[in-house]
Parts: sequence; C-alpha cells; structure tokens
Amino acid sequence: MADVLFKLKNVHFSYLGRIPALCGVDLTVAKGSRIAVIGANGSGKSTLLQMLDGLIFPDQGTIRAFGTELKESVFCDEDFSANFRKRVGLVFQNPDVQLFCPTVKEDILFGPLQLELERKKIEERFAYLVEALSIQGLLERPPHQLSIGEKRKVAIASVLIMDPEVLILDEPTAGLDPLTTRHIIDLLCDPSSEKTLITSTHDLHIVEEISDVVYVFGQDKRIVASGEPEKILKDEDLLRQNNLVHIHRHRHEDKTHAHPHLHIEHHG
Amino acid sequence: MKRNNFIERSLVGTLVFLKESVFSDDYAARRAFLQGLDPRCKLAAILMLLLAVMFSRNIYFLAGMYALCLLLAVSSSIRLGFFLKRTWVFIPLFSLFIAVPAIFEVFTPGQAVARLQLFGLSLTITRQGLASAGFFFIRVLTSVSLCVLLVLTTRHYALLKALRFFKIPQVFVMTAGMCYRYIYLFIEIIENTYLAIKSRVGTVPSTKKGQMVVAWNIGGLWQRSYTLHNQVYSAMVSRGYTGEPRDMNEFSAAGIDFLWLGTAFLILGLSLWQTYYLN
Repeated sequence: MADVLFKLKNVHFSYLGRIPALCGVDLTVAKGSRIAVIGANGSGKSTLLQMLDGLIFPDQGTIRAFGTELKESVFCDEDFSANFRKRVGLVFQNPDVQLFCPTVKEDILFGPLQLELERKKIEERFAYLVEALSIQGLLERPPHQLSIGEKRKVAIASVLIMDPEVLILDEPTAGLDPLTTRHIIDLLCDPSSEKTLITSTHDLHIVEEISDVVYVFGQDKRIVASGEPEKILKDEDLLRQNNLVHIHRHRHEDKTHAHPHLHIEHHG
Repeated sequence: MKRNNFIERSLVGTLVFLKESVFSDDYAARRAFLQGLDPRCKLAAILMLLLAVMFSRNIYFLAGMYALCLLLAVSSSIRLGFFLKRTWVFIPLFSLFIAVPAIFEVFTPGQAVARLQLFGLSLTITRQGLASAGFFFIRVLTSVSLCVLLVLTTRHYALLKALRFFKIPQVFVMTAGMCYRYIYLFIEIIENTYLAIKSRVGTVPSTKKGQMVVAWNIGGLWQRSYTLHNQVYSAMVSRGYTGEPRDMNEFSAAGIDFLWLGTAFLILGLSLWQTYYLN
C-alpha cells in the first residue's frame, strides 16, 4: 500500500457540467509502474492525465496522490503544491500549449526556475537533456519556428529537466516520423530509470515498450479492460470495439483485401 | 470580383507584413555595433536619446540626431533602404499630414513666404508655420528611427528581459512575451483556415461572402484563443507557476556598453543645456 502513488475511486468529471469526460473511473498507480492508457478519440484519456497532474478535480469520486486527496483547496498550500509539481510532470498533447516562452532555452528552464530547484542541478540536467535530445541548435530559437518533432522534443525536455518521480505523457509520439519516435521512446524508457510512467497513446506499436499495464478506455468514458500489454494487444475484439485496431488494405494482383494488423504477431 | 480580391490581398498582405516586420530577427542576429551591445544599456541609452529629442528645441540638433540614427543603422548592418522604408512609412507620413495645416497663416501667423490658391481659397504659408511643421516632423521621424533601431537590433526576448531590469513587473513582461509568441500561432491559424476555405469553395464569389468568411475566421480564432488560454495556463501551473514568474538573468555589460551609455547621457545633457540654459 505504501507503494501506491495514485488511487482513483469512482471518478466522474464533466466539462462545463454537461459534457461528460470520465464516468466512474477506478485506477491504481503503483510506484515505478509503467502504465499505458489507450482508447479512441474522446474517450477521456487526456482528461484523466490532467486529473493525475492536479489540474482538474473530480465532480464525483476521489483521487488520492501520495496519500493526500487531491482537491483544489489542497493546492492552496504552497508547500504541497510545490512538492506535488516537483514530483509529477505532464507533457501535454499539443506542444504549442506547453511552449510559451520566447526561446527554447527559457522554455526548458521555466519549470525548474519556478520550482526554485538548485541552480547547479538545473545546469547539469539542462546540459544532459540538450545532449540526449540533440537540441543544441534550437536553444536560442523561438519555439514557434520549430517543426512538430522539434517542438515535441523541447516539450519533453521542459518536463524531464524537473526530473519528476511521475512522468505523464499525453500522446508523446503523435505526428512524429518513425525515427524521432524511436529516439523519444528510447529516452523515455531508460531501463535504469525508476520513474513511474503514465502514457496515453494511439500508437499501439509502442505500447509494449512503454508499459507493464494497459488500461483501455471505452466510448462510455470508463475503463473497459486492463491487463498486460501482450494480453490486451492480442484481444482483437476488444481493440476493434474500441476503434483501436489497425485495418490494412492490400492489393494482390486484381483483388483487394483488408485485415487487421496486430502488434505482437512477431512473438508468436 | 475586384473588391473580393481586395479582401484576399488585404488578409494575405497583412499576415505577410506582420510576419516580416514583427517576427523577423534577421537584423538582430547580425554581428554589428548595436547588436553587440548589452540590451539593458542599449535600452537605457535609446531612452536617453529619445528624451534628448523630446526636450530639444533646436532644429539643427534634431537634424544631427537623425543623422546619428542613419549612422547607427549603417554601422549596425541595416540596409539603409530598408531602414528608411520602415521609418518613413506610416508614422512620419501621418505626422506630416497632421503638421501640414500648421504651415498656413490661419494656424500659424507670421512672415509670409508663399501664397496658394486651393479650391478658391487663398492660403498663405508662413516661415514660422514651416519651421514648426518641420520641427514637429523631424522630431517624430528621429524618435521613430530610434525606436526602430532598438527593435531591429535586439531580439525581442532580450528586449523584454531588459525591461525587467528597469523594474517593469515580470507579469507584464511575460504577458508581452507570450502575446508575441501566440500572435504568430494565430497568424498561422488564420492563414491555414483561409487556405482550407479556399481549397473547399475556390474563389469566394462575392464581397459579401468574403466578408462573411473573414467574420467566421475572427469568430473561430476568438474561440481557439479562449481554449488555448486555458490550456497554456494549465501547462504553466503544471510546471510550478504560482503567479510570479521567475527567470534567469544572463546579461553582462562590457566597457563598450558603458561608453555608449555615457555618450547617450552626454547627448541628453547637451539637449537639456541647450534648451534650458543656452536659450
């Protein structure tokens, strides 16, 4: 029980009080676990991640983080707020939302400066990330001039520099070319890291690598299945019902046929 | 059809102008005199020169200041044609139109130098009128030139950070920086939306429809900016923002910066001395 970082019980949330986004979600996140959240568009994945980051709060039900129930009021306590922000980092789905400073360098440094982390530690992390993400040439550039792949790298760097214990990623590989995707996954899935990783994605190719447990969100905005990646990715019916199966259409001489593409076939 | 093209040309032209004039930092990236100065010293010196221009009542002094602006432009690798275009378009021309009535005897009585017959009216141009209009014009031109020099030779974020040194509240500086950053995003959204509309409906058939398209664009943009504002704020809170942003101060001033600051101080002193003691 001591290892539980987040615990959600029957969580409901709606936007403007009338557009439901989460309808009875139960979820437990253990320390050091790697969780993938998959589901169709509009199934509530991003809402869940923002709730885990203490940006929105349940209309009904409870969410506990590090033993404390998350409510708007607890973030009025400056110590709790600063401690929580140091421990939990969220990479937003849209990097344009996250990159608001005049230069890439300032954007990366924004978080640790707000949290008043130790200067020496900031400089070390900064140097490491710049090297690891190969973004030396981008540092003095305004974020709006970057490509989508570069923006995403910078957005990830802007969170990793805070070295959070829990890293939450909202579709980190959306819109990226295969090589950049590979690079980012390698960085995030560092085997020596003990970080808790919570990733929302549509990219079933990466699910096995980034997770030990997969939660599938249904159109009814609740978790419809959970389990090990191998089990979930083999369940063709489950994937099909939740708009997650990849249908590939081929042409063989004069005939065209379509079939689903499973992502763990090579293990068979 | 032509009027409709006018809407398209205006929209595209405005966006191109904004991108080129506001977001281009080609000149700021060059290695030349003003670009090499510490932004804080540069800002302080330009402010002093602006004060000198404002306080001076000597047209020769103002002409000298304008010559100094041209010299600074050249020494900062700014193409003179580009600089003159940036400074002469709009504000000085606008001020010239404001100043034109002042040359006539009706507004500035004095020694007549010429007479004009305009729409059956007899108008007299006075020497005093010409002097005050010229004075007004050159003061505006010099002030605008100084501001353009500052903006062209300083990266916008360095300029904003320099404002912090003068105790401008950080919230203001940060908001200005974010406005700058997101205006670019909105320009891109407008461009893409316009292209998307064009790709679906071709050339908009009437001016009325064209106006409607522009109105939709404005409405859509407003909604997007509202959503974006909430998301950006969440992203800031997520990284520990609590209302008072903190940043790194990385400026460093050298001997040349203090020399430049001292020169500007002397020029301001000269202007004040001329205005309040010599006269």
